[in-house]
Amino acid sequence: MKRLVALAALVAALYAVPALATPYLLHVMVLSCLYAIPAVGLNLMLGYTGLVSLGHIAFAGIGAYVAAWLMVDARLGFWSALAIAVAASGLAGALIGAICLRFRSHFFMIVTLAFGLMLYSVMNNWDDVTRGAAGFPGIPRAPGFTTLESFYRLALSGALLAFAIQWRVVRSDFGRILLALRQDERLALAKGVNAALCKTAVFALGSALAGLGGVLLVSFLRVAAPASFTLAESINAVLVVIVGGAGSLAGPALGALLFVALPEYLRVAAEWRLVAFGVLLVLIMLFAPRGLAGLIAEGWRRVARRSQ
Amino acid sequence: MRLVILLAACIAATAAAQDKVAVGIVTSLTGPMAPPGKFQMNGFNLAAEEINGAGGITVGGRKYMVDLKVYDTRANPAEGASAMQRLATVDKVPVVLGELHSGVAGAEAPVAQDYGVPLILTVPTGPNLTEQGNRFLFRVNASNDQLNLALVDFIQKQGWAPLSFIAWNNDAGRGGVNGMKKLLGDAKTGYVGYFNVGEVDFSSHVSNIRASNARAVMLFMDEEPGSLAIKQLRDAGLKTQLIGTLAMGSDRFLKRLDADRLAGMVQYNAFPPNADTPRIRSFSERYKKKFGEEAHGFAAQSYDGLMMAAAAMQKAGTVSDGKKLRDALAGLEHDGVIGRIRFDAKGQANPPVYVTQWCANGMRRILYPESLKADCGAG
Amino acid sequence: MAAALLEQVINGAMTGSVYVLVALGMVLIYGVMHVLNFAHGVLFMLGGYLCHFFLTRLTGNYALAVLLTMAALAVVGAMLERGVFRPLQGNLRNQVIASLGLILALENLAVALWGPNALQIKVPATERLVALGELRFPLQHLLIIGVTAAVVAAMFVFLKWSKFGTALRATSQDRNAARVVGIPVERMDVASFALGTALAALGGALVGPLFLVFPQMGDAPMVKGLAGILLGGMGSVPGAVVGGLIIGIAESVSTLFLPTDYRDSVAFAIMVLILLARPRGLFGVRARGEP
Repeated sequence: MKRLVALAALVAALYAVPALATPYLLHVMVLSCLYAIPAVGLNLMLGYTGLVSLGHIAFAGIGAYVAAWLMVDARLGFWSALAIAVAASGLAGALIGAICLRFRSHFFMIVTLAFGLMLYSVMNNWDDVTRGAAGFPGIPRAPGFTTLESFYRLALSGALLAFAIQWRVVRSDFGRILLALRQDERLALAKGVNAALCKTAVFALGSALAGLGGVLLVSFLRVAAPASFTLAESINAVLVVIVGGAGSLAGPALGALLFVALPEYLRVAAEWRLVAFGVLLVLIMLFAPRGLAGLIAEGWRRVARRSQ
Repeated sequence: MRLVILLAACIAATAAAQDKVAVGIVTSLTGPMAPPGKFQMNGFNLAAEEINGAGGITVGGRKYMVDLKVYDTRANPAEGASAMQRLATVDKVPVVLGELHSGVAGAEAPVAQDYGVPLILTVPTGPNLTEQGNRFLFRVNASNDQLNLALVDFIQKQGWAPLSFIAWNNDAGRGGVNGMKKLLGDAKTGYVGYFNVGEVDFSSHVSNIRASNARAVMLFMDEEPGSLAIKQLRDAGLKTQLIGTLAMGSDRFLKRLDADRLAGMVQYNAFPPNADTPRIRSFSERYKKKFGEEAHGFAAQSYDGLMMAAAAMQKAGTVSDGKKLRDALAGLEHDGVIGRIRFDAKGQANPPVYVTQWCANGMRRILYPESLKADCGAG
Repeated sequence: MAAALLEQVINGAMTGSVYVLVALGMVLIYGVMHVLNFAHGVLFMLGGYLCHFFLTRLTGNYALAVLLTMAALAVVGAMLERGVFRPLQGNLRNQVIASLGLILALENLAVALWGPNALQIKVPATERLVALGELRFPLQHLLIIGVTAAVVAAMFVFLKWSKFGTALRATSQDRNAARVVGIPVERMDVASFALGTALAALGGALVGPLFLVFPQMGDAPMVKGLAGILLGGMGSVPGAVVGGLIIGIAESVSTLFLPTDYRDSVAFAIMVLILLARPRGLFGVRARGEP
């Protein structure tokens, strides 16, 4: 009960942020929400099911470009375009996932990477539809959410929706099956679990969430460019999930905040910042592999123990 | 007595405290586009140094020193939007210049419009950037469409067909190829060899170009891959006519290869560094003095951009009102290093596009426009 | 048509030989430690930079510079194994993240130290052109192929017939059994990493004079080499060779029939198709305990 109240207070506070924050801070918060949404999808795949996909953001790109084309070329409204785009990413996830899931561990990772690169090529090269490398400008903000403050509320709602879905899935039987698959697939199979179906389902769900993030991102930026959906961005998503804490509910939020907010505030000597970042990653893997969420949980535990 | 000294010190302090105007710059400082970004920054830095050296920008009877606030957008649209947001609302600059990548510019332009801060592009060539009806977007450099028009005009006069391409698979390369194909038509264009930024092996493209009996090869890329592509083409024994981008018209480029391999190659240029025009000569000399190498077209374009912004600030009489600045820019006519710059209704300037050619002795001559033709050594 | 095809096959074999050189180092490390080192590409890149450094600052002799580079990076490899990859053994996901962190750190370190512009390694002796029928190739390119072939042969001999090589193979097949027999497994790990890194360094040092030395120079070869290893079979040296060559040749030949902007996709599509048909790669073997 106490947890619920705290959560409600947090949500209320988040919605109230525009009243207090500077435009720049709001902008950073919007981006954090928009990066968190695909991260939630990847968390379900990687954190809970153990599927390390290195091509996740390509599905955000699918959602983004489908929505862009529908809104600008087909003159469809924002909400219809959003719905169709998310469905499209989910479907692509199901189809491509089915192929990738025929492989395991290293092979799975590289095949997802390969598909990510191939999808990027399509976004970059198919000039007639995607406008190619120079980008697809003229994408409108969602109607009624055109200002920074209002779009923040939309992005926040999208993020909360994603987290709600994550919570629901993790609590469900399906979620338990996913965990079982990560821990010991053979045992799960022996208990009659249809591993292939479940893994494909989570791949599709994860991709749909990525698509949602993609649509909101290009609506926010008002341009869709292949540069937003590169391999580097997919790797970024993996880092967000892992550093935030894979397999934890709050992980994607913590990771997204860190990865969006930190670089913004560390705009010093660019290369050294990235060198430090890389070293930090290695250190986190060596000493805090459960990420930020793990560190925080550990911190709580110590405090709790000490208070006894 | 002590009061007098204190008062004098205060006055001296305020006199010494220089008024500054922060000018926003967006560019790539890291990542694969960092080399062209450096040229862009050189142009801005040289302009800022000269403006400040002359005492700064005079507005309302006071002198303001230019202070560049540089943000690395790393060819990422989200970073571009963030940088623009920060410049507009945190640094509160009256104008932003630069950017390398058309996709990122596409994310920066709407933010510029949101906050009424003019954005002056100095490198991105994507034509659809100026088609969005954004009154706060200006572009000093020629768009792909303009570059291609000039080039096609020149190429058709030479009768160089069929034309093959080796191009970067990014906005600059693809934009160039698509534009050329549209203008020349399928009959006159042949093989298109795309490669990713960072790739260095052109052997497969070289073989195909040889097999296609292309009369000329157009290279849409910057100087580093350019030097490799030309080396590989010439090493393979191909003697086809080479056409390059403005990156391949500098002495620095010559040093990467040698006069033998380059002789006869033409390239379009934003400005020919050794042209006889006084403003070009003078710029080239000052650039060489500061950076120890020949000027790059991007540097010239950026230099002109910042100079124009300064001129607009003086004309509008403000260092803080973006909207007034925007109106001043819209009506300004500026004699820049790259030529006469005047923005049309869409914010696009129409600078002259030159075609220069390498002579056998390592000098350059100007071939186009006809009116500005010049001989070896004046290119 | 046939001539064009043959020419592209030769081009592809040359491109592929660079991928093979990168792949060999990765396959050695993977075979013994079952660690997939994504950072291999940046080590290749550092090989190029260090070679340039040694050549211009220390010795004017190219061969000596190459050897120094290999030695220096072997030490770096040993340090990485000890410090980063040994503690993460068995945890694939964390190894991958740590590798990514290394890539970020080292690639930007190169930019911070040497700037973003490309460097040239000038070795005039290797710039001569060699004629093969109608085609002409720079000597350096043939040198790369020759060295790669020599390295493959040397590795084969080393692994098959030397005591150390046999110990390495034993460790890769069954760690515990190797331990029981008295093989110092930890030392095998360090050795394989050092050797693998030295091979990466060799690759960078060889490729430098042919192309350019720049911070991203290892990225594409690493991904292509990885694709090659996968389709060749993860722990297999012949697999790495065949895989790397297939990727290189497929890329080059594809430019004859398909739009060149999809060249990368072709290589990956071929990899996926081969893996669908043979999930462990062409020469891969089923490891004990795998379903």
